[in-house]
Amino acid sequence: MHGKMERICNDFTINIATANGTGSQSSNLIILNSMFQMGVPVSGKNLFPSNISGLPTWFIIRASDKGYQSPGDNAHIQVLMNKDTWAKDLESLEPGTIVIYNENVKLPVDRDDCPSFGMPMTKMARGINPKLARLMCNMYYVGALAHLLGIEQDVLETAVAGQFKGKEKAIELNIRAITEGRDYAAENWVDGIPYCVESRVKDPNSFLIEGNEAIALGSIFGGINMLSWYPITPSSSLAEGVIKWLPELREADDGGSTCAVIQAEDELAAAGMVIGAGWAGGRGMTCTSGPGISLMSEFIGLSYFAEVPGVIWDVNRVGPSTGLPTRTQQADLTMLYEASHGDTQHIVLIPGTVDECFEYGWKAFDYAERLQTMVFGFTDLDLGMNYWSTSGFEYPDSPMDRGKVLRSQKEMDAVENYGRYRDVDGDGIPYRTLPGSGLDPILYRGTGHDEDGIYSEDPEVYNATISRLKRKIEGARDLLPAPVVRDEEEQHIGVIYYGSMENSIAEIDDMLESTGLSVSTCRVRALPYHSEVEDFIERHDKVIVLEINRDGQMYGILRKELPAHLVPKMHSVAYTDGIPPRARVYADMILEALEVIA
Amino acid sequence: MKLNVIDLEKSEYTGGKSSLCPGCGHDQISNVIIQAAWENGIRPEGIAKMSGIGCSSKTPAYFLGKSHGFNTVHGRMPSVTTGASMVNKSLSFIAVSGDGDTASIGIGQFVHAIRRNLDMVYIIENNGVYGLTKGQYSATVEKGSTKKKGTMNEQPPIDLCAMAINLGCSFVARSFSGSKKQLTALIRAAMGHRGMAVIDVISPCVTFANNDESYKSYNYVKENDEVLHLIDYIPHFTPIEEVDIPEGEYDDIQMFDGSTLRLETVGREHDPSDPVSALAAIHQAEKEDKHVTGLLYYDDGMQTADESLELTSTPLSELSEHELRPSSDTLDKINSGFRGN
Repeated sequence: MHGKMERICNDFTINIATANGTGSQSSNLIILNSMFQMGVPVSGKNLFPSNISGLPTWFIIRASDKGYQSPGDNAHIQVLMNKDTWAKDLESLEPGTIVIYNENVKLPVDRDDCPSFGMPMTKMARGINPKLARLMCNMYYVGALAHLLGIEQDVLETAVAGQFKGKEKAIELNIRAITEGRDYAAENWVDGIPYCVESRVKDPNSFLIEGNEAIALGSIFGGINMLSWYPITPSSSLAEGVIKWLPELREADDGGSTCAVIQAEDELAAAGMVIGAGWAGGRGMTCTSGPGISLMSEFIGLSYFAEVPGVIWDVNRVGPSTGLPTRTQQADLTMLYEASHGDTQHIVLIPGTVDECFEYGWKAFDYAERLQTMVFGFTDLDLGMNYWSTSGFEYPDSPMDRGKVLRSQKEMDAVENYGRYRDVDGDGIPYRTLPGSGLDPILYRGTGHDEDGIYSEDPEVYNATISRLKRKIEGARDLLPAPVVRDEEEQHIGVIYYGSMENSIAEIDDMLESTGLSVSTCRVRALPYHSEVEDFIERHDKVIVLEINRDGQMYGILRKELPAHLVPKMHSVAYTDGIPPRARVYADMILEALEVIA
Repeated sequence: MKLNVIDLEKSEYTGGKSSLCPGCGHDQISNVIIQAAWENGIRPEGIAKMSGIGCSSKTPAYFLGKSHGFNTVHGRMPSVTTGASMVNKSLSFIAVSGDGDTASIGIGQFVHAIRRNLDMVYIIENNGVYGLTKGQYSATVEKGSTKKKGTMNEQPPIDLCAMAINLGCSFVARSFSGSKKQLTALIRAAMGHRGMAVIDVISPCVTFANNDESYKSYNYVKENDEVLHLIDYIPHFTPIEEVDIPEGEYDDIQMFDGSTLRLETVGREHDPSDPVSALAAIHQAEKEDKHVTGLLYYDDGMQTADESLELTSTPLSELSEHELRPSSDTLDKINSGFRGN
């Protein structure tokens, strides 16, 4: 790399290849947080294996002044630490990619077309602490990148302190390793690289957080009374987030907790506990991933039919079956919407940002108690376990909605012709009483029941019940979050998307518009879909439904429920490979689809 | 009109008309539950009736009509009870399950509810068959049993009392639907117990398994019931001096609410605080093709599920929004902490 080099600031992707269990996540987050603190718009994707130690892990850091957050098409800087993926990682590089590697792995870097920078990282780490060399060596690439990209030392040191909160010895050792790495690079690497980071004015309110922790906090502000959970990637950190924050946030005056946490024996039990809590008048929640939803399905039907409130968060991982447990997709949507046998339909809240994760974390309980049914929150591993930026969570803007619960004889008397399942108000939502109240006690059941809750196999009674349930859920459409719509003037092409695709849509949109297209977007945030979704479809000529799954699940739901005249303009673009959506892949597929349609 | 200690007639504790087969053991148990709740003077609205699926699980419709109840899904009653109990620990949970519900499909939930020492009465109405699906064997049926029609059961039975004792259940008893006095005393004691009380009640299925050679038929149980002791439950509101003292040997067990369980020795001694002798009694009876009935094991010192979670004293379902939702200032502090300020 000679001659005058063009500088490319805040517009590059770093791919860091390490082995799982070597502490590299700490190193990667230090780089990510440092860049973030410098005001560089940055995103991080952890592609990790289902394994405790040894299998390959990649961490992708994308810096983009345009705010693009998808992983990017290819790496501009490749860090090689893992001998198992070394050759394959090298082979996949575009010419000109900068390679930073650990010389002590003793594998060749046989890419003459890629400027490469070696450092004896393990050996240097041994110099600091032989026992910790396997972990410490990852701090050397932090120092190397800091030197090459121009990351400020004081920012790095703050990030290290944040990463190893309170562990003074660890902070000291890691800063030493980073500094040694930086110094080595400065002394031994003559050539520079084109890429650099440049400070920007940072929103002083912004910080990075995982979606799972945002939901956990949201649920605590939503008054969660009972969390039941069974460990499963990628939802465990949601439950652990609740457990972490409860002592600080939800201790009563007598020192006792106002939320019970139970690690259940399985997901079936976790769902049963949620229903028990809802039946008894509390706010019960569980969190899981696809395999857990499969197991919970029977109970979900009970909640729907017996009309018991509850909240279940599904952090989608790759299915079917055990699938790719540590990868991401949006393929549980249909299952959530129609879970359990018989005719069912459930409320699904679909956050696309960490702010919405917090918001729907508390709102889910309001919807569940208002509608007396199971409410799902639907995210995925990308939103749940990667770090996203927020300017701070907003306090709930409405008091808790406890729904139609009759708590006294006076309230009961005010309801004309009360029956547990009688649609007194014409909105499909009946009134209920709580165990312990002595008010109109009934035996709740998953069997057929009449308006008073009495067992019934009568054909008319059954049909009236399931028709009212349909009316109840349909009636909720416009109570639920409206879509986020961005209309172009032309209203020619509309793209409907949802959830974590939010992180890639701006870049996809720019790619499409660079070809001369003008594209409106509509992010669906709940099912059953809001009437504004239908309006969006109505006013666009062609509508693409963009999603991270194989079959186009949202497309299928829309096709099924939209008026017939809108169906011909609907087109599906769906793709999944477990990796967070790369903008180029989806933009190309949209262009291809539009060509076929034309 | 006879009133109980809270001035209620027994009719306040009855339920709907049973739709089970005439003569079903389960109906006798329902009557005993009504009697026990009435005699104990529990407020009917303070009780929550729980059940799974099966003939036995239908019975909450037939007792305690003034109590809320939940006829849940097959084998999963313990988890629903767990959630409800966490949210409202002031409720008295009386659960009814069957041998299919508990020993097969729901055995995992049974095990874990015991492990948590959930504060509930767990009655198993055990007849060795699936009644509602017309008489298939359940996992508690004896090896070698032959139904009227059908093949011989080749698998050994699961003894739910032995299992409960091994799991550290704090109250384990076995009884017979035809032993009204014993069963009433046991259910009354179980209602007074703090923690998980499991009562395995042999309850003959008159339609599918009441042939004399069936170990769970009326005639068989009557002839092969090895009674551990005569049980008298003396509630805390009855002065113990007013209770007749048995002529023979007896032991009094003090319960946490001030009630007394008086166990009058018949035949050999049994120490219900010793799990080893409780298991020995079960296995000895099994060897002799008998049913041992009475209070097998009792431990009043165990922490219940809600105690070990250190919940606030008010039932969680009664907390106000002020107590459930942290303040706006608190959220500001959290945001500020994340910002590194």
